[in-house]
Amino acid sequence: MHLNQRFGLTMIIATLLVMVATVYLLFDFQRNNREDMARAQGLELARLLSGMSWSELVPQAGRKGLLAVLKQGQSNPDFAYGAVVDIDGKVATEVTRSDVIVPVGDIINEPTGWLGQRVLSANDAASQVKFIETHAPVFDQGVHMGFVRLGYFRPGFSFSYYEMPFLASVMLPIFLLVPFFYFMLRREIKPLKDISERFENIAEQGGLTQIEMPPSQALNDFMEQVSDYIDATQTRIEVLNQEHEDLTMSSKLLTYKNNRVDAILQNFPDAIMVIDEAGEVSYANAKVERLLGIDAEAMLGKKTREWCKDPQIIPLLTFGDVKSNLQANQDTVQVRLDDNSEKSLQFSVYPLFTPNNESKILGRLVVICDVSESHEMRQRQNEFISHISHELKTPLSVLSMYSESLLTEGSDDEAYRIEAVNVIHDEVERLSTLINNLLAINQYELGGVIAQRNHVRLHEFLEDAFENITKARGIKDLEFDLDIPREMSMVYIDKDLFRIAVNNLLTNAIKYSKPGGKVSMSASENEDSIEIVVSDEGYGIAETDIKQIFNKFFRSTDKNIRNQTGHGLGLSLARQIVLMHHGDLTCSSELGKGSRFVIQLEKVSTQIMDAAAS
Amino acid sequence: MNKILIADDEPHVLRVLKLSLEKEGYAVETCANGKEALTQLEQQHPDILITDIQMPQMTGEELCRHIKQHMPERKFLIFVLTSRTEIEHREWSRDINNLLFLEKPVSIRNLLEKIEGYFSGASDSWRAS
Repeated sequence: MHLNQRFGLTMIIATLLVMVATVYLLFDFQRNNREDMARAQGLELARLLSGMSWSELVPQAGRKGLLAVLKQGQSNPDFAYGAVVDIDGKVATEVTRSDVIVPVGDIINEPTGWLGQRVLSANDAASQVKFIETHAPVFDQGVHMGFVRLGYFRPGFSFSYYEMPFLASVMLPIFLLVPFFYFMLRREIKPLKDISERFENIAEQGGLTQIEMPPSQALNDFMEQVSDYIDATQTRIEVLNQEHEDLTMSSKLLTYKNNRVDAILQNFPDAIMVIDEAGEVSYANAKVERLLGIDAEAMLGKKTREWCKDPQIIPLLTFGDVKSNLQANQDTVQVRLDDNSEKSLQFSVYPLFTPNNESKILGRLVVICDVSESHEMRQRQNEFISHISHELKTPLSVLSMYSESLLTEGSDDEAYRIEAVNVIHDEVERLSTLINNLLAINQYELGGVIAQRNHVRLHEFLEDAFENITKARGIKDLEFDLDIPREMSMVYIDKDLFRIAVNNLLTNAIKYSKPGGKVSMSASENEDSIEIVVSDEGYGIAETDIKQIFNKFFRSTDKNIRNQTGHGLGLSLARQIVLMHHGDLTCSSELGKGSRFVIQLEKVSTQIMDAAAS
Repeated sequence: MNKILIADDEPHVLRVLKLSLEKEGYAVETCANGKEALTQLEQQHPDILITDIQMPQMTGEELCRHIKQHMPERKFLIFVLTSRTEIEHREWSRDINNLLFLEKPVSIRNLLEKIEGYFSGASDSWRAS
């Protein structure tokens, strides 16, 4: 309900209550007044009549008594009855209003009670009428003869129309004052109403508006203060809103920047960790798990020793006194992971200086990089150089020593001279072959090798290569088997290059054969392709090594393979040569039982070559 | 007679070294790899071992480590013939006394001078190295 409505209703109810109360009080005053008058008149009259004798009061038959005179002369409208009774209560004479019967009253015996007043009910029990009766003793010549009883109606709440003008004159001012006060008050509370509306507005819309204050109002000061307060509050709210917007924007910007930095760090190719000044991990990207096999989340907030078990890594990531060792440093360690694989990890540690104080550090940035491949490559190259050095310098040594001995004591011994010259010749040949091989590889890698293809009879070509190799290497007790059909198609190949490939396969087969084993070479053809197979019954190749045997510089870690000299170049070169001829070189092997290398040449391509050549 | 054992998988090297050293009056035994050398060391008790590094079955490096580990009381001098000149390829021999590297190509004269020097009493200098 609106404030004004509530106020109006309250005013109406209050007015009605005031009017009812006024009427009540008026009637109550009137009633009390009438009752007091009845009591006073009754007592006064009773005393008067008590002073008269019984005979004066009780008329003789046929005559009107004093009471009748009294009735006629009575001005009080409340007068009900008058009676004279003997001492037994029997009525001797009476005068009443026409509608009244003298009520029965108790006999009064005690002389102290002879003069008195009492309230009596009408004889009719159903009637609510009450009488105020004044009684006094009546004597006749000093003898108590009875009582005079004078009764008045006891006044109740009754309304008489002749009182209407009076009531109206009382009620009208009250009635007129009510709307006057109502409008006066309403005018006074109007600012409150405005405030109320304004607060409602705040509640509904969340905005504050300026109140226009009417001048010279009693509440002006208060309202102005309230208004000022609201204005100040509104200004503060606007400032806060602005600050809130700025903060939200800053927060979004920070979140965006944070996400962007996190995305960059997560997608960084290397593992990244930040170790704070307390030595605990405060950031680690997902790559850490891949490299160290430890969940990045699990290491957060922990010191290195709590998440790392590797004795090589712990000292790299434990810094002791933060202030010391502010230099960036780098270390590479071989780590064996849970899955038994080995990795070469390079740990680069950089101190993180605070932006405005370069002597104070916040912690350290650790970048972990998997250098297994380059490490392995370096190892292979190193091994390769060692082999090449050995292969080059050993013949040089032989040359040097034989020539030195020829220059001195051996020069007189003819047999020794012949031997020395032969050895020198062989070693020069060996050196030349090795150097040519190295140059071929180098040239091939630089893209400088151009295949000089010719039509070649496969039977003769393979037989010649096989003979040369097997006869030259009669060191081991081996069985050789050659199966090349005479009628095989001609092939279109670079004879010299292809010879290197076949030689390398055969040399390997012999080198890695067990004594008494068999080395065989066979060839076959179908409509589309030609297959050349070189197989042995040697040590075989481990499954994990097969994928890598065609990689340059790769040498197996197998003890049996390591016992033989090699450069890790032969198979790589052979495959490159076969690929140059649009063919394929594959290997299948079983450890301990031997290996099988297959060169596959597409016949179609050779025919196209034929056509092209012609 | 002072005994010399030569281990090399290259027969021409064995042959020319054996001839040259025998002419100087040394008793020379040869073998083709580290394993054979170990057997010969136990049987012949040579005064000098000359070994190549890259050999099948047991390399010169493995042979020297084995000697260091299993023959703490050995007296003989070891010459290691190497193709690599870089210091890091000699790291493995740092804790092995009485060991000297000879770079390939080897000069017989140079080798003989060193051997003669060793036998003539300058052996302490080898130990020091």
